[in-house]
Amino acid sequence: MATSTVEPSTYIAPPPAEETYYEAHEPTILGGGFILAVFAVWELYPAIFGLSKGMKLFFATPSDIIAALYSLLILNEKLPMVGTIWQHFNASTGTFLFGLGLSIIVALPLGVVLGRSQTVDAMFDPFITAFNATPRLVFLPIVLIWFGVGFWTVIAIVFLGAVFPLLINTYAGVKNADKLLINVVRSFGANEWQINKLVVLPNSLPFIIAGLRLAIGRAILGVVVAEFFGGTEFGLGVIMVQASQSYRVDILFAVLIIFMVVSLLITAAVKQIENRLSRWRPAKIKTF
Amino acid sequence: MNAWIYEKRRLLLGVAAVILFFLVWEVIFSGLVKLNPLFMSKPSLIWSGFMYDLKSGKVLFELMVSVRPFLFGFIAAVVVGIVVGTFMGWRQKVGYALDPLMTALYASPLVAVAPLVIIIFGVGVPGKTFLIFVLSVFPFIFNTYAGVKAVDQLLVNVVRSMGGNDKDIYFKVIVPSVLPYIIAGGRYAIGRALVGILVGEFYAASAGIGYMIAFYGDMYAIDRMFAYILIMMVIAVAFTEGIRWAERAAFPWRVGM
Repeated sequence: MATSTVEPSTYIAPPPAEETYYEAHEPTILGGGFILAVFAVWELYPAIFGLSKGMKLFFATPSDIIAALYSLLILNEKLPMVGTIWQHFNASTGTFLFGLGLSIIVALPLGVVLGRSQTVDAMFDPFITAFNATPRLVFLPIVLIWFGVGFWTVIAIVFLGAVFPLLINTYAGVKNADKLLINVVRSFGANEWQINKLVVLPNSLPFIIAGLRLAIGRAILGVVVAEFFGGTEFGLGVIMVQASQSYRVDILFAVLIIFMVVSLLITAAVKQIENRLSRWRPAKIKTF
Repeated sequence: MNAWIYEKRRLLLGVAAVILFFLVWEVIFSGLVKLNPLFMSKPSLIWSGFMYDLKSGKVLFELMVSVRPFLFGFIAAVVVGIVVGTFMGWRQKVGYALDPLMTALYASPLVAVAPLVIIIFGVGVPGKTFLIFVLSVFPFIFNTYAGVKAVDQLLVNVVRSMGGNDKDIYFKVIVPSVLPYIIAGGRYAIGRALVGILVGEFYAASAGIGYMIAFYGDMYAIDRMFAYILIMMVIAVAFTEGIRWAERAAFPWRVGM
């Protein structure tokens, strides 16, 4: 009874949300719309204005590319070169994972050592700076001579690309570890191994993940470029070179789109992990 | 003296490590291990190979071949990147419209378009220029975008209250706050541009530093290949560390961005 006697007039409703649907979603609409517009122009340009004979060789409309993607990925048709796209995809994935794994195995322990020892750090610093500044692609010819044409050359290039961001970020993370915490653990009688396990590694994990994100980008780049020149039989990079040499621009773009999607997906996934792991941190972690 | 050594400890250790590295490399292949010149080289041979090509003028010639497309592509990337980035930061709607497409392009391995670029633009300067442009424009776009968005509105208002005109706002607030972002972008762009020139020259070229590395590799002239690899490394380090140094000198309040 008492509840129903509240005067409705004393209650002032908040003003209705004035934001329209468009205003609420403006970034998405404009961003998506622009991409659609680009594709529309790309698709319609040859139909409206026509192309010269020479240009036709280099041109594939989005519908051609989607058709190529459909027949290659879904119907699993044989490529005009060799094998199916999935065989090449698996070959590239294999080299990517192998090279990345190798770089993780090397970079993490080395990064911890560099971060914990000032002398070793000072001695390695010039080499790391030099190798990190130089595009690792420069070593491709010598890697080809040392490892021979094929699988191991591609692995070596992927490894060289991925190892430095991981190394540098692990090192930065280890150096950033709280000195106070290290001293506390040491006062309680921890040895070097326990200090690393209890304080240093948990502290540097967000850095390492950020390094991993960079390393994945570099590794994908490494796979593409190494397969251009590395002389393996299978691999998406191999397909791209052969497609461009036989003027199959639709296949070229299809493979490029596969690369784009894969690298966006992996990067987004690692970014999620990164956000989750650094959620408890008060300040934003500075990544390399 | 001791204090000086302690202060410069890092630098001394680094220099010592580099010298030690080359010494050990030289010693190992001078006596301990038999050098197979088709497979490996040693610093003294690399040096004489380098001097040979330097005296004949080859090093300078190949450098010039690579520098031209590099300059064209990089300057185009700076201009286009700054203009597009400024528009994106200045007009919110332009920023919304371009951001997803640019992010997708920036995150994808664009070097994969190299074969297509080369069949369209050919083997010479235009192909390499375009490749370098495509690879190095995105760091400029995104950093200018971020820089323009980060301009402190308060500072703009202060200058206006003090009776400053548009020129004052531009030169006293906007340029000084955006410039560090652009230069930081330049540091990333340099690395990508060097990848562009290498891919362009490995893939299809008849001259240039990258081509010489591949060429001497094919010839099994390991000493000279190493010489050109080291030239490339020195250039890359000089660029990135030079920009880093310029950043510290010009914008000491922004170190580490």
